[in-house]
Amino acid sequence: MSDTSAGHSRRYEIRIQGHLPSRWTTWFDGMSLTAESDGTTVLEGPVLDQAALHGLLHKVRDIGLPLLSVTQLDTDTPRRLT
Amino acid sequence: MESPLVETKLYIPRLRRSLVARPRLSERLSRGSEARLTLVSAPAGFGKTTLLTAWLAASADEPRSVAWLSLEESDSQPGLFWTYAISALQTAVPGAGAGSLALLRSGQAPIETVLAILVNELSAVPNEIQLVLDDYHLADGPDIEAGMVFLLEHLPPHVHLVISSRADPALPLARLRARGELVEVRAAELRFTLDEATDYLNEVAGLDLTANDIAALEGRTEGWIAALQLAALSMRGRTDVASFIAGFAGGDRYIVDYLVEEVLRRQPGNVQSFLIQTSILDRLTGPLCDAVTAQDGGKAMLESLDRANLFVVPLDDSRRWYRYHHLFADVLRTHLLDERTGEAADLHRRASQWHDENGEPPAAVRHALSAGDVERAAGLVELAIPALLRNRQEATIRRWLDLLPDEVVRVRPVLAIGLVGALMSGGEFESVEGRLRDIEDLLGKPRADMVVADEDGLLRLPGAIQMYRAALALVRGDAPATIRHAQLAVDRTAPDDHLTRAGAAALSGLAHWGSGDLEAAHRAYSASVEGLRRAGNISDILGCSIALADIRITQGRLGDAVRTYEHALQLGSGSGGTVLRGTADMHVGLSQLACERNDLAAATQHLLRSQELGEQTWLPQNPYRWRVSTARILQAQGDLDGALHLLDEAQRVYMGDFSPNVRPVPAARARLLAAKGQFAEALSWVREQGLSVGDEVSYLREFEHITLARILLSQYTAQRTGASAAEAARLLERLLTAAETGERTGSVIEILVLQALTQHARGDTAGALAPLERALTLAEPEAYVRVFVDEGPPMQVLLKAVAKQRSSWNYVRRLIDACGSTPVSSPTRLVDPLSERELEVLRLLGTDLDGPAIARELVVSLNTLRTHTKNIYAKLGVNSRRAAVRRAAELDLPAHRSR
Repeated sequence: MSDTSAGHSRRYEIRIQGHLPSRWTTWFDGMSLTAESDGTTVLEGPVLDQAALHGLLHKVRDIGLPLLSVTQLDTDTPRRLT
Repeated sequence: MESPLVETKLYIPRLRRSLVARPRLSERLSRGSEARLTLVSAPAGFGKTTLLTAWLAASADEPRSVAWLSLEESDSQPGLFWTYAISALQTAVPGAGAGSLALLRSGQAPIETVLAILVNELSAVPNEIQLVLDDYHLADGPDIEAGMVFLLEHLPPHVHLVISSRADPALPLARLRARGELVEVRAAELRFTLDEATDYLNEVAGLDLTANDIAALEGRTEGWIAALQLAALSMRGRTDVASFIAGFAGGDRYIVDYLVEEVLRRQPGNVQSFLIQTSILDRLTGPLCDAVTAQDGGKAMLESLDRANLFVVPLDDSRRWYRYHHLFADVLRTHLLDERTGEAADLHRRASQWHDENGEPPAAVRHALSAGDVERAAGLVELAIPALLRNRQEATIRRWLDLLPDEVVRVRPVLAIGLVGALMSGGEFESVEGRLRDIEDLLGKPRADMVVADEDGLLRLPGAIQMYRAALALVRGDAPATIRHAQLAVDRTAPDDHLTRAGAAALSGLAHWGSGDLEAAHRAYSASVEGLRRAGNISDILGCSIALADIRITQGRLGDAVRTYEHALQLGSGSGGTVLRGTADMHVGLSQLACERNDLAAATQHLLRSQELGEQTWLPQNPYRWRVSTARILQAQGDLDGALHLLDEAQRVYMGDFSPNVRPVPAARARLLAAKGQFAEALSWVREQGLSVGDEVSYLREFEHITLARILLSQYTAQRTGASAAEAARLLERLLTAAETGERTGSVIEILVLQALTQHARGDTAGALAPLERALTLAEPEAYVRVFVDEGPPMQVLLKAVAKQRSSWNYVRRLIDACGSTPVSSPTRLVDPLSERELEVLRLLGTDLDGPAIARELVVSLNTLRTHTKNIYAKLGVNSRRAAVRRAAELDLPAHRSR
């Protein structure tokens, strides 16, 4: 059973070091991938709940890419977690 | 059948022939032999597993045992995790952990109790043990954490934990670090230095690179070993190495992705397809790959990948099973998902089918779910449930059913009853009645879309529904409803469904027993035994035999109890050399009866035999029952301190079952306290239990109320104060009436003995003789001894008074002799003395020598030493080396004196 008590899903931006080809989009559950000129990649998209967010972070960990930041987008003041 | 374990997970991965030597890291790991925990924590591809296997191989001649466990995602369930961990220990030290494993498999014990017993078992192993948990991040989570923290805190000093993980485990690392009990190897140390990279690329991989090339590679990969390894693969056989390095060193692209693609592109098409299609598998073997790819030659392909060092890791010596390096498998899977959309589901479905045909339901279910084929998954789960329930894997059933949509489960009545079984075993009762009604409705008016995979299961349903209702009623404490539903279950079971009938009969037996109707309980248990016999389930007969014997003992029918145990003993050790679980417990029961009849040598022999048979023959209750029985023998020998110590231990390892706990260990302990004159402590037990002389008396609390009477009586005898004797007398009178009404002759005898002692204490010796003579008359045919003799000098006086009046009563004279031969205090001898050899071992146990050193000193094998140690522990009634040495000192054994 999914945790819907927290309401609708929220958009997150996850920034990692290194460029990932767009092929990884499906792997990251449909998050969009944008390669930035500073050598980082931004994953952006809706995340169902905290469990889903941690699942995404595990995937980042498992491929050994340095995690730079996690930001929640659709609040008035973006909350930075790292 | 035990649940199947994946043996390859307990196998220390094989080392590649040539490796980069890393003395700086091996030295650090060797310091782990002084620490509790060694943690190798770094992201994927940093060479953690290789480092550990290389270090273990290099120090293989050290006298220690290595238990290895490669964890997988499905291991985050405590039951499975600890089963694997203890099995790994058993692979390293045969026999170690058998008791804790049996307890774990029984599914009746909290993890902490299992681990407490494991710690005890490991303490008895004389040599160093390393328990390696590889890829711990796959199992880490709150459910595993609690047990790990407990284990870390209680680990004996010669046992060390080694964890490799992609993330720091949720363990108290800061505290361990501060105490110097943590050895760490982290990413910074694991990265290849420039020298190591040079060694690897030019020596191990056989490339001939310039210092500049290597510096460029090292800089771009930052010493990440997986990336360097892939780079080496990419450069193999290339002529344009320099331009490859230039192209690779310049970019920002995720290097593993870039390099895997480089390597893939250079493979023939069939190899590319094979790699991508089989990337969905956690473990690979030839036939499985053939099934998934729908091609031949999987075995040869895996071997050639292995030879070329391409992505695969062998999992056994015989080259049957492999897995992909996790990092590469992830990249391969992105290729599958991106380039072959739609193919993944078919691959998973074929993998599911292969695992199903090869008897691996868990993997079959996992792949069916990954394929999105919930119907197939539901059918597989339904067929797998009976074996899973037998093996107490309810948690697995629960997890699967959480993944299946409700509407799929609702039209599958056999699957739904399986879920009920899993819920009941897990103590989740709330939704059960509703689910049972749904199943009944479905059976009453079968819908067109009803699905049944297990046709036999359908026939079992009507009986099973009532059996679960009986169990629900028992949980509610509603004995009449339990008995009613159990009877309905018996009436409705299919003719050959002996197990459901046996289950229902046992539930009925429990309800009768709990309400004090012993005869009816005995009849029901006998019916259950008959059902179990027809079903061929001998092991559970042994469990029922304890209930049958306990009932007979309460009824004062010791001879019947002995016959029950002896018959069960024959069943347990009769079938083709294997000794069934529960056999050891029959010996513990026989010990208890021999002790009552004052055959202390036989009583001790039975306890020894229970130990010798080994933990795999124990029921979960054995550890506490064994200690209670040992305490009785020590008490009979006059060693009240020793007995008390054992009862303390029994309380710690206590494990209830569904039977009513009619002889609670704390009550037995309170009796000893009273006998030792520690009234304050005994009375505080009375207060904790909320007992008072005015209580209504009932069978369930009879033992405790008799204990209360004993405490009051000893207090009066010792202090001659208060109204306690009169209170005891009134309580005993009411207890006697209740016991007589319930036909509990065993209890009647004890109560009469106490009545006699009370009269005697109040100075009315003549008045004491009437109840005593009644007790003697009831006790003689069953050859009771200790119930009289344990009462010491006052009883001796009374027995002599009886003998004076009735000189021809041989039984009474035998009891008087038994009083004389019982030491009043200070235990100075053992019933079963230690042999010369055992004394020698005991002496060495008192030194600082470790197990292997003792074995060398005695010129025996470690196994022989272990047998000696076990026997010594049993004879001394202890369970650790330290306690044995202490006890030897207390007893002033020659072993102690010669030091």
